[in-house]
This record gives sequence, C-alpha cells and structure tokens, in this order.
Amino acid sequence: MLETFNLTKKYGELTALDTLNLRVDAGELFCLLGANGAGKTTTINLLMGFIQPTSGKAKVNGIDVVKNPVETKKHISYIPENLSLYSNLTGLENLQFFTGLSGLSPSKEELTQMLESVDLQKEAIHKRVSQYSKGMRQKVGIAIAKAKNASSLLLDEPTSGLDPEASNNFASLLAEMRDKGMAILMATHDLFRAKESGTHIGIMKSGELVHTLKSDEISLQELEKLYLETMKSTLTYA
Amino acid sequence: MLKLIIKKEILSNIRDPRIQISSIVLLTLLVTAVLVSKEGQKRIQHEREQAMAQMYDVWVNQGEKHPHSAAHYGQFVFKPTSVLSFLDTGIDPYTGVSIFLEAHRQNEVLYARAQESTNLIRFGELTAALVFQMLIPLLIIFLTFNSFSREREEGTLKLVHGQGLSMRTLLNGKLLGTYSIVLFLFIPVILISFFLLDRQSIAIDKQVYLKFVLIIIAYALYFFIFTQISALVSAFSRNSAASLITLLGIWCLSCVIVPKAAADLAEKLYPAPSQFDFRNSIAEKVQNGIDGHNPSDERLSALREQVLSEYNVETIEELPVNWRGIALQAGEEYTDMVYDQEFSNVEQVFKNQNQVSEWVGFLNPYLATRNLTMGLAGTDYSHHLTFAKAAENYRREFVKVLNKDMELNHAPDIAYADYKLGKEFWQTIEPFEYEVPQVATTLNVHWKGSLGLFFWTIMLGLIASIYSNKIPKL
Repeated sequence: MLETFNLTKKYGELTALDTLNLRVDAGELFCLLGANGAGKTTTINLLMGFIQPTSGKAKVNGIDVVKNPVETKKHISYIPENLSLYSNLTGLENLQFFTGLSGLSPSKEELTQMLESVDLQKEAIHKRVSQYSKGMRQKVGIAIAKAKNASSLLLDEPTSGLDPEASNNFASLLAEMRDKGMAILMATHDLFRAKESGTHIGIMKSGELVHTLKSDEISLQELEKLYLETMKSTLTYA
Repeated sequence: MLKLIIKKEILSNIRDPRIQISSIVLLTLLVTAVLVSKEGQKRIQHEREQAMAQMYDVWVNQGEKHPHSAAHYGQFVFKPTSVLSFLDTGIDPYTGVSIFLEAHRQNEVLYARAQESTNLIRFGELTAALVFQMLIPLLIIFLTFNSFSREREEGTLKLVHGQGLSMRTLLNGKLLGTYSIVLFLFIPVILISFFLLDRQSIAIDKQVYLKFVLIIIAYALYFFIFTQISALVSAFSRNSAASLITLLGIWCLSCVIVPKAAADLAEKLYPAPSQFDFRNSIAEKVQNGIDGHNPSDERLSALREQVLSEYNVETIEELPVNWRGIALQAGEEYTDMVYDQEFSNVEQVFKNQNQVSEWVGFLNPYLATRNLTMGLAGTDYSHHLTFAKAAENYRREFVKVLNKDMELNHAPDIAYADYKLGKEFWQTIEPFEYEVPQVATTLNVHWKGSLGLFFWTIMLGLIASIYSNKIPKL
C-alpha cells in the first residue's frame, strides 16, 4: 500500500508538489497523468526517498519513507523512465546484482527463467547491456522488479520510447502484477495505457492532483477530453 | 551485500576499455620502473662493492710509508646501496656515494649537504617510487572519479538505492572494489620484484623483510586514502567533470604544490649555511680557538708544557715518545671538536627542515608516504647522515691509530723519511663497515608521517560514515 499525506515539495519559491493526498491499495494500479512538470516524477521520487519532502508524509505499507528509508525499500520495486543498467555487465549479471541487493540469491537458472518470462531473447541474456535496445533494458528492469516480489511498484513513464509491441507486452506484465495484488503507481503520458491497465487515474497540474477517477467509470474519449481540458486550463493558468 | 558490490565494481571496471588501457599502461610503467630501479641498484651495489674492495686493496698495497704520509694518502669509502633502494631511490641521487678519508680533513660529503638541503626533499627522477606515489593515485582517480557521479547521471544510482541499499554500504562497496583493483596491480609487482632479488649477492635479513612489509603497508594505506578521497568526491560532486577536476586539483596540490611549498617553507624557516661559511667558521675556530681567545700556537705551547711535565723532562728531544705524533693527534682532536660543534648546528638545521616536512606530512599523505618509504628503503636524509657519521668515525679511528704509532714508535732520532710502515701494519686497519639503521630508528624519525597515514584513513572513514547518507541520489 502506498500513501501520501499532504505531501509537499518546494524548491525555493517553486512548489513542485502541493499537499498531495493519495492512496494506492494492493491490487490497484494508479496512473498519474499530467504534463511535464506537473509533479508526477516528484511524487515518485518522494515515495522512493530520493528527495526529502518539504512537508507532509509518504508511507509504504504504513512505514514512513523519511524515517525508515532502507526498510521501506524492501516493500517497493521501482522502474524509472530511462532504465539504466550497468553497460559492462550482461543482462543476467545485472539481474543477479540487483536481486542480490534485495537480499535474494536466485540460481543462474532461475535468473535466466526470470529474463525469459519478460520476453528477453535468449541470445541477449548473456550479452552486455551496452548492446541492448531501450525495450530490452526495460525488460530487464521488469525482471528486477518482479524478482524482488515487493508489495508495491513505482513506475516513472516506463513505456516512453518503447515500440508498440514492447509497450503492449509491458502492459500485460503490469496487469499480471496488479492482479497478483501489487499496489502500483505509474506516472505516464499514455492515456490509452492508463485507461487500459489502470484501476485508478489521477490528473496532475502544477504540482496538484486535480482529478482522481476510477478507470472503469470513464471512457477513453471522456478521459482524453478531461485531460485536454485540464492541460488547456494549465496553459491558461500559466 | 558488500561483497556483491565489490564484485560488481571489479567486474564493471575490468571490462571498461578505458580502465584496461590505463591499467596496462600503468602496469607496464610500474614493472619497467621497478625492474630498471632493481637492475640499477644491483649494478651500483656491485660497482661499489668492487670499488670498496679495490680501494682497500690500494690502501693495503700503498707501499712503505711514514704513518702520517699514510694518513694523508687516505682511503676512499663507499656508501653501500640499500637492498630496498630499488623501491625508492630517495635522496641517493643527490648525495655523494663516496667519501675520501684523510688526516686533518673531514669528509666533504657531510657538509656538501648544506648546499643540497633543499634537494633533500625535492622531486625524484622517474622511479618505482614515483609510479607508486604519483601515478597510482592518478589511476585511482580515473577509476573512481565517476563511480558515483556517472551512476547518478545515468540513473543507476536510483535503481540501486531503490533496492534498499544504504548509501554507506554502496560507498564502502565502491571504495573496496576500486581498492581491490589497485592492490591487484600493486601487490604482485612489488612482491615479485622483491623475490626476484639476487639473494646470492644481497644479504636479506629479518630487518629487510620487516622494512619491506612496512613499505607495502605504507603504500596500501596511501592508496586507501586516495581511494577514500576519490570515492567521497565522486559521491558529492554535481557531475563527473566536476569530480574529475576536483580530484586532479587535490592530486596536484598534495603531490606537487604542497611538497614544494613545504621544502621552500623549511628553507625559509631554517636557512642552512653555505659550504663556504661552514668551512670558514671551522678554519677560523681551529686557528683562533672556539672562543677566539685560544689560538693554535697557544694551544700547542700549552700541550707541550703539559707533555714535558707529564714525562718530567725539559725539552722535546728528551721525550721518550714522538712529540709530533702527540701534537698531530691533539690537532686532530681539536679540529674534530670544532667540526662536531659546527656540524651539530648544521645538522640541527637539516633536522628542523626535515621536521617541517614531517609535520606537513601529517597533513599531506603524499609527503608522509614519501618520507616513510624513503626511510624504510634506507635512502632518506637520516640514513645518509648515519653513513656520513660512521665514515667520519672510521676516519678518526684510523688517523688516531696512525698518530699513535708515530707517537710510540717513531723515535725522535729517526728522520721522518726513515721511519716507514708496510703492508702488515696497513692490514691491521680493518676495512670500513657500515651498519644500516634498524626499523625502529626509521619509525622513530618518521613517526609523524606514519601517524598521519592512520589519521587520514580513520578521519576519512569517519567522514564517509557520518555523511554517506547525505549523498545525493538524483
């Protein structure tokens, strides 16, 4: 479970996130939509403990992120927008390293199976990541997230730059993890994916969560219209 | 967890072509420098041993002479090269290797150092020590400068931190990973070079082993300090470029600017007298007496009176011993006394200068390591001084033996040219032997630097421990 209570982040005069109250329960996939600078990534960075909040709280499974930064990480998997791996290591070695950091020690066979389960080509498994496409790296990232078997997953625009097929496969994997009871928070620009995979949708504007919707209560067209209207008001506001 | 990060760091680094190339270049340089130094040391040692034997042979076979002529004939003695000098030639290239020992004159190499004082703590030539002390830190910088900043720039740091890894563990892992690579390059080269020493011609005793182990520890600490500094700078730098510039600045400051500044400061604070002033002062004091009220002719008169009274005779001719022999030895002893007094002043100046270097070494790991390894390799100022003093003592002893023979055996009625000694007597004067100072003596001289290395290691460890959780993740 992911929760924020009046979570605020300011950089001098600029308010990057303004009193955000959010809750993502197990089995939910909450998609955060919004223009660049709306506060999506800031929300994820705060939940991950990469930055400290100006005020408010963020909790993972009821544990305060600021007070227990290491403990909360045990309950979260994270996939950033541009997933970077160690280019001098192979996909398998990267997976072995990151699962090792989570305190797991799966065998090479198990690691290979994990990579295969996210559709990484067999011949790529033992190649150095420097030769991987973005989609292939994202797959390793998913394998890392899956292997950790955490209760929550945070994704920061994970499908940007992926080809449609890879994006589609990725959405299927997300749905699979959601159905297994993970609490997922995903920042995205992809309205279609948000509607298709998400259980809840939030639209952010200038650091504020302006709309919160259940995805099964709104059509894609309505979502698109609402989003564009919000963005338009953002421009007017700006 | 730590093991995992260390393993990843090693693997990632050894697969990096830039690291591969720089490591190969450095390793080649290191092996070449060590081998060249070792061969040079072997050659010099051989030459000096040969020269020592030849010179003693020349002394023994000088033919029949009056003992005082033999005292002027003199002997050359050579400074033996230290077994470990191949690791650090220290100040050896700037100091004399041989001293001519003769009557009335102190060996010049002792006070030639007054002019060379600033050289005692200046740069060496391209040697193993230079590679260890200046180039390996550069490799450490290249290995470490972007260890954090690149991860931050590329985003892997977020992923790593997101796995629940504390920044302290990550910092320690990166530090130990890089350090392992450095030790992997350094330890085999230094061990192999040591075990390849020609044991048939070089005596390697326990002291040498101990000094060798201490040199390894000193360098290991030095490299660890540089790795700690590099990892910390990388962790807190905005980006890789800033990290590299900062680290190169630190390298330049600690390895180039501070040692030079310390040498200049030492010279400014404690100026050494010129050789000319030194000699003049001795000559004047010998001539006029230490206090200026006891000229040499008065001293001679007083001595004559004392000797005549001792033997209860009226004239020199009545003495049962050779007056000239007594007078010569008394002159020697007076000159020695003046010399000791003057030299102790100069020696104090050198000591003060080196103390400045030692204290700065406490704050500068490069200087501390340089001073300590030079001392352990037997090529520092204190070793040279010990040798010079030993040679001077030997000179005094053999001149005394010759004067004593003259005093006792050269009867006054025998003309100078008619009293001669030969090979048998010359052989009674043993060849010069020099005993290298023990480890304890060296550590006593360089304790500040040694302590400085531990101080830096602990202090940086504490800084890492306290501030590691403030390392920016974005």
